[in-house]
Amino acid sequence: MAAALALVFFYAPLEAEQGFLQKIFYVHVPLAIVALCGFVTGGVLAIAHLRTGDARWDLRSYVAIHMSLIFAVGTLITGSIWAKGSWGHWWVWSEPTLVSFLIVFLLYATYQPLRFAIEDPERQARYASVFAVAAGAFVPLNFIAVRLSTAYVHPRVLGSSSNLPGPMALTFVVSLAAIALLFATLCKYELTAKHTRAQLRALRRRMVEA
Amino acid sequence: MPALPLHTAGKYVAAAYVVLFALVLIYVAIMAMRLSRIEREVGELLALSRLNEDREEDSPQGKNRAEGSAQEQDREEGSPQQEPEPAGVEGAHA
Repeated sequence: MAAALALVFFYAPLEAEQGFLQKIFYVHVPLAIVALCGFVTGGVLAIAHLRTGDARWDLRSYVAIHMSLIFAVGTLITGSIWAKGSWGHWWVWSEPTLVSFLIVFLLYATYQPLRFAIEDPERQARYASVFAVAAGAFVPLNFIAVRLSTAYVHPRVLGSSSNLPGPMALTFVVSLAAIALLFATLCKYELTAKHTRAQLRALRRRMVEA
Repeated sequence: MPALPLHTAGKYVAAAYVVLFALVLIYVAIMAMRLSRIEREVGELLALSRLNEDREEDSPQGKNRAEGSAQEQDREEGSPQQEPEPAGVEGAHA
């Protein structure tokens, strides 16, 4: 993270059109990419849960989606700040990239209420996994649909039309790696905490029964 | 649209980075609270296990059991015992 911040503020050149404001790009885009990848990862882990019936996969899927939601909140807020500085509006409803990301976020915002509305742990895990798989498949489809749409107000970052100069590309890649590492670290942190709590509950039950 | 001057753009850039920092900070603070709750629960379990041990030692059956197990241990001394299997995660659902 420190290396990424150093590159952003001391190495990457100022962009000709947006100037210093473009520095938001190095936090906003990696957050969005990692959040979307996290949602898809949650779906893949949910497939593993449905195939094996192992509760650990469900827990991993839950943590990936939970963390992606937090990163998606960060994406929306930083995106709004960038939009205000760049376009003069906090939100542009005619821009498909923004609206599609909001739809994905709102879709996943229903994951936790759905999950915790079911009391039976096995049913809860199964239903949540089915949701995660369906929503996880929706994310890349949504991404492709936006790419194919005609309005291109929102800048393209990845793809044949992207023309980031070398220092900017390097800074972007390091920022992406830093945000991905942060995601992985926080996931591990949360998984360990949930694992420990589960073991504690089991230990308490045994001690009370004994 | 022309580039914003540094003093105006700086506010937006600072706000964006502060948002990221605040999100991580809030998350870590919540996790710290959870960790302290786990620590408290471990303390309670430790106290409960000590209480159970004291009760077993105080009861006459417990005394006999303790003596019996001590004798058994003397007899079996030298024979390697298998380590118990680590318990799997129970109730892993969040």
